[in-house]
Amino acid sequence: MTKELEKQFISEFHDHQNIIHKVCSIYTSDKESHNDLFQEITIQLWKAYPTFRGDSKLSTWMYRVGLNTAITLFRKSKRQVQTQDFDAVLYRIKSTEYDPTQEEQLSVMYKAIQQLSDIDKALIFLYLEDKNYKEISETMGISEVNARVKMNRIKTRLKTILNP
Amino acid sequence: MDELELLKKDWQQRKQVYPNLSHTDIYNLLHKKSSSIVKWIFIIGIAEFIFWGVLNLFIPDRIFDIYDQLHLKKILSYSYIFHYTVSIVFLYLFYNNHKAIRVTDSTNNLMKNIIKTRKTVNFYVYYNIGLYVILSVVFNIVLFSDVDLLLQVMTPEKLNIDQSKFFNMFLITQIIVLVVMCGLLYLYYRIIYGILLRKLNKNYNELESLE
Repeated sequence: MTKELEKQFISEFHDHQNIIHKVCSIYTSDKESHNDLFQEITIQLWKAYPTFRGDSKLSTWMYRVGLNTAITLFRKSKRQVQTQDFDAVLYRIKSTEYDPTQEEQLSVMYKAIQQLSDIDKALIFLYLEDKNYKEISETMGISEVNARVKMNRIKTRLKTILNP
Repeated sequence: MDELELLKKDWQQRKQVYPNLSHTDIYNLLHKKSSSIVKWIFIIGIAEFIFWGVLNLFIPDRIFDIYDQLHLKKILSYSYIFHYTVSIVFLYLFYNNHKAIRVTDSTNNLMKNIIKTRKTVNFYVYYNIGLYVILSVVFNIVLFSDVDLLLQVMTPEKLNIDQSKFFNMFLITQIIVLVVMCGLLYLYYRIIYGILLRKLNKNYNELESLE
């Protein structure tokens, strides 16, 4: 692969790296595995980059590779232990209108998402990223109807976790 | 659902909360080694092909002399030609399936292709066990059709054991070898599947149960 391509990739990746951080924050619960997954996704993106034709948006392509790596390709390393320091809590933003009840609600929500299965996490992630059902179904390789059904089940599940 | 809408809003504002990697950081990441399961499946698959491919090279020459005396060498040569042809076909299928694995595919297709690649290797192993069993049966039929010759070749004159005891031992040894081999393989596959594919299978089944 040419240096030119590498430069182009690095520059585009740099501008979109947030997407990958977001995927990692959904799938990992501590900083170390966040970084491990981030590294693996970056490598996979780079390996697939020469075949990226630009007929889909770069972000869409990154969602796909990111989620596929997290769900399928990534193997958690042994040294990692399950900890409670979910990085969404670590990286919490202090919104201008800080509302303690809302903050707590959000923290509970993020924790609830951590309890979902890998597939459910992918769907909720795409939902949070404001993707429509067509895009969700294409990314996951399931029908649009099934994506809807599954999403409703996840929402109900989250509701039960939040309001037992 | 109010909470989810709130979450969505919060989620989309989270731009500034993540560390921002510089160009140099990204460059360094690109040159790190991947440890994806696809890579491991490929390495393990190739190792299995090599293992089964070279296994018969470790059979001591003395055994071949015995085969020769028992007029089994011809069957053995034919089975080798057959075996290596089939192995090449399997290797080709394995390579093709592995090439079809694309991280840019939909999640469902990606998992399907990984499972297909792994299955090619599994079938190759089943085939090897099958071939071993079939060859053992054929050999035994040939051997027992000429009991005198078998006794003459297998038992040196000094060893004076009675005939039925010898045949029992001969058969029992073969069965024990087969059982131990299958046991080891079973254990090996439990480990491979346990480590590499449990997560994949679980996720794949979850997606499939939707369709």
